[in-house]
Amino acid sequence: MKLVAITSCPNGIAHTYMAAEKLAKAAEKKGHEMKVETQGSIGVENELTPEDIENADGVIIAADKQVDKSRFHGKRVLEVSVTDGIRRPEELIAQFERNEVPVYAEQVASAKLKSITEVKKERSQKQNPIYRNLMNGVSYMIPFVVIGGLLIALSLAIGGEPTEKGLVIPQGSIWNNILNVGVASFTFMVPILSGFIAVSIADRPGLAPGMVGGYIAANGSFYGSQAGAGFIGGIIAGFLAGYIVKAIKRIRVPQMIQPVMPILIIPLCSSLLVAAIFIFVLGQPIAGIMEGLTSWLNGMQGASKVVLAMILGAMIAFDMGGPVNKVAFLFGSAMIAEGHADIMGPIAVAICIPPLGLGLATLLNKSKFTNEEREAGKAALAMGLVGITEGAIPFAARDPLRVIPSIMIGSMVGAVIAMLSGVADHVPHGGPIVAVFQAVDNVLMFFVSIIVGMIVTALLVNVVKKPVDVEN
Amino acid sequence: MKLTQLITRELINLNLEGSTKDEIMEEMVNMIDRAGALNDKEKYKESLYKREMEGSTGIGFGIAIPHGKSESVKKTSVAFGLKRSGVDWDSLDGEKAKLIFMIAVPTEHAGNEHLKILQLLSRKLMDDEFREQLLAATNVEDVVQLFEQMV
Repeated sequence: MKLVAITSCPNGIAHTYMAAEKLAKAAEKKGHEMKVETQGSIGVENELTPEDIENADGVIIAADKQVDKSRFHGKRVLEVSVTDGIRRPEELIAQFERNEVPVYAEQVASAKLKSITEVKKERSQKQNPIYRNLMNGVSYMIPFVVIGGLLIALSLAIGGEPTEKGLVIPQGSIWNNILNVGVASFTFMVPILSGFIAVSIADRPGLAPGMVGGYIAANGSFYGSQAGAGFIGGIIAGFLAGYIVKAIKRIRVPQMIQPVMPILIIPLCSSLLVAAIFIFVLGQPIAGIMEGLTSWLNGMQGASKVVLAMILGAMIAFDMGGPVNKVAFLFGSAMIAEGHADIMGPIAVAICIPPLGLGLATLLNKSKFTNEEREAGKAALAMGLVGITEGAIPFAARDPLRVIPSIMIGSMVGAVIAMLSGVADHVPHGGPIVAVFQAVDNVLMFFVSIIVGMIVTALLVNVVKKPVDVEN
Repeated sequence: MKLTQLITRELINLNLEGSTKDEIMEEMVNMIDRAGALNDKEKYKESLYKREMEGSTGIGFGIAIPHGKSESVKKTSVAFGLKRSGVDWDSLDGEKAKLIFMIAVPTEHAGNEHLKILQLLSRKLMDDEFREQLLAATNVEDVVQLFEQMV
């Protein structure tokens, strides 16, 4: 026989699991198959799927708590207390063997029956929609970040050479090809993020406008900016595209053109609209902000070094490769040329703290991160070592309001320590790798600053982040 | 996380003195309190008795698992006590309880790790051999060993 069971008790700490264990053991002893769903204080575990229930010859509910029986309509259901599940599991199973258990019929209209998938869908719809849309984008983006980040990291670490222009891989080297594969994967990062945010909002028609919008967001050349809008721009593009498509879908059109709506009209109009908004409305301010920040930083040269380090650290971490990060980075690079390598030192420290700190955070407290994020955390550690701040993006994009302040503070702390202890970096690149290439003065304090910043970031993130719900 | 982080050595007593359920409850609450896991001993005790009212936690097999979930608990803890002569716990099978696990869980907690450990313990207690090994323990080290090995 195939049986399924649910166990549950008021506190959900012990009895639930004792009954589950006993029932499963008794079934095994009697040569039956049994799957037991536990509804304890950890939440529902080993959840019965519609197929499990469909294929079951009988259902045992051993619970001292209300259990929703609607999914067992038409099944033989035996309801007992949880202690019966612990005390006499074999007797319960024997009742099925003797065919003594009546079929359960739902009292209310069958139209009300909800399958588990429907319940799940409802549950996820109750989540904050903005969060849900972000999540969707991030989960599709992660593989691109991981592939791109790791390949770039690997080729820089093995094939890279420090030059005035940063770490450069000689033309014709195999590492150059590998770097290009990584760069290709990174190129998709922002478009995929915004594309799948838009899909989450507007279903399939959102994909093309979302990806096109994301590409434009990531490429400043569309709106005369030195740098693109980074992942934050990508998130904006994704939401814009999603809601525009959703709005166009609502417009009533004559029956005749309905078939071409999803493949022609909707993608075309919404892509153009997203592009126009980005280029004419958002692009100019982004370019303007960059110019403003650049001249502001130039004006800061006479100011206190500590203040400058704090500002640079915060800017580097703020958008992880986006325009604000770029401004700080370019400022530091320009200062090297003018003989002030001690400005790039703190920047090199700040660059690697977000991915390293978040990677550390996933190792310190697993409950605050999804499985996916924990994998991304390992990749982030590798990316941090070679100064690829983008490794932190999956975390920041999923939970920006908690993650971005934490990494900003971590990078600020690291940058200030580096500035005060005279850490200098003669190559426009960041992370421990520049020390390996002997481009750093005061290597000891360079690493001390990185480690302190990492720890600050990891602790802060784990304090402010909420635990991941097990059911998700 | 390991069970031995929840049941520390000071929370193990292989020779409980009390001879009634109430005396043993008092004795074990004191153990948890001394370990510094409680904010308010009386409140925690209340939560234990409230749970007992809903049905005895003497689940048979010589086991009792009085447990309380309360704001007065600072840190998830489990006390383990052995009463070789057994004590009447209004058990479902009328058998006396010899292995007593007292569980204290805070209402608000971050993460589920400690609940998973308790789940593992609950499942393990259904194993006849494990119970016999616990009953056969002669010193605290034996018990710590058993909990350490629990998978």
